[in-house]
Amino acid sequence: MAKGQIITFQDHENFRLRLILSTLAGKPIKIEKIRSHELNPGLKDYEVSFLRLLEKVTNGSVIEISYTGTTVIYRPGIIIGGVLTHDCPVSKPVGYFIEYMLFLAPFSKEKFSIVFKGITSSKEDVGVDLLKWGFLPVMENFGVRECSIHTLKRGSPPLGGGEVHLLCNSLIAQPITIHALEINKISSIRGIAYCTRVSPSIVNRIVSSVRDVLRNTIGCEVNITTDVWRGETSGKSPGFGLTLFSESKKGKNWRYCIEDIGLARETPEDIGEATSYKFLELLENSGVIGRNQLPLALTYMTIGKEDIGRLKVHKSQIDAKLVTMLRDIKSVFNTQFLFKPSPEEAEEDYLVATVKGVGFTNTSKKVA
Amino acid sequence: SKLTGSVQRKWDINKLIYLNNIDPADVIARWKSEEAELDNEDSSEADIEQEEAFFQKKDVQGSSEDLDTSQLEFAPLDELKSKWVKPDPLDTLKKRFFKSPKQKISEK
Repeated sequence: MAKGQIITFQDHENFRLRLILSTLAGKPIKIEKIRSHELNPGLKDYEVSFLRLLEKVTNGSVIEISYTGTTVIYRPGIIIGGVLTHDCPVSKPVGYFIEYMLFLAPFSKEKFSIVFKGITSSKEDVGVDLLKWGFLPVMENFGVRECSIHTLKRGSPPLGGGEVHLLCNSLIAQPITIHALEINKISSIRGIAYCTRVSPSIVNRIVSSVRDVLRNTIGCEVNITTDVWRGETSGKSPGFGLTLFSESKKGKNWRYCIEDIGLARETPEDIGEATSYKFLELLENSGVIGRNQLPLALTYMTIGKEDIGRLKVHKSQIDAKLVTMLRDIKSVFNTQFLFKPSPEEAEEDYLVATVKGVGFTNTSKKVA
Repeated sequence: SKLTGSVQRKWDINKLIYLNNIDPADVIARWKSEEAELDNEDSSEADIEQEEAFFQKKDVQGSSEDLDTSQLEFAPLDELKSKWVKPDPLDTLKKRFFKSPKQKISEK
């Protein structure tokens, strides 16, 4: 491709998404001015690690990083997947890497079977339980039925020592076009409270504080599993955390989900309480899916068949970050989302995001 | 639809999103203010305010802010706590929950 046609981004915002979009579209991109005004300019260790991972799951990718690390040129190859192990730096949890691998996994030549080693959850990025209970159902609704995430070992920050296996068995040509306009009624709230290398009573304290909050406010069924890890499989550091998600009886299997972990000077009660209130807030401000699941859903909608996909979103979900994301999608795929008012009466807070899929096809499926 | 007949410029979110010369934070500010200003306020004044807010936010953006996390942002816990004891938001949210026949009977 001629040099003039290369898509250029600036800044380290949406770093992973931009690379993933480029890989899916098969178009080279250039990211410049990465932290160029900072004391420590250029790529961070986890970003380089992400680039290495991309190199491993694709064939023929070319990555050029400038001397200062402030510019990256990425020419994507085809997605091949395979059986791999990836050691994640302790600066980011494995979720940072797995989250965006989910964007690629179903469109690969071979199955994705990657073991990620490192920290399994953190305050800033998604944890493994959230990926498992929040992200996989989204993929399922797009036709990716056999994808699983297994936690082999848990590893709390700062030292980690966890192991997570991502396995994607279904290889599809393109995601299904969705028409998600119905917001499911929630029948119960479920969750997982886990701990590593601390007293098992910690998880019970988390559970009881969540119950207190949710029973006194919403008053619905609360069902939390306790998950105590000890010995070899509990990583190198002590820690505890909580993931909450919703359960619906009818309709498509979308779930809202949220999580948090305990750090220094936080009690299990703090985590339980704060997460419960945040969950209520998330429910209030969600359309069919939560804000944290939108990037995955919108990307799948973009690369779908040449048909109009629809997804009901809440007005508050359209924030500055989402605008940046939609612009990134436009610069790579040249397709625009259109937000229409909700067709139903008395739903002023909701919009319907519609987009025409670009008709992407899995490169390895073309030949067959 | 609310603004039919008014002279004020109406911002269409669909256009705003893809106007690359407008900062994403500003896009949201303009869109939100359009909804708030139902009673034909002086829009130029509001614009200036928005611009100020926009510049302030830029200053706050620390040099090492992580721009690529999947973390959701929430109001401080105290605010959330005081919000979720009020009956108003709770009742609205309760409608999103499925009620078993048993619960319905006990409410009556």
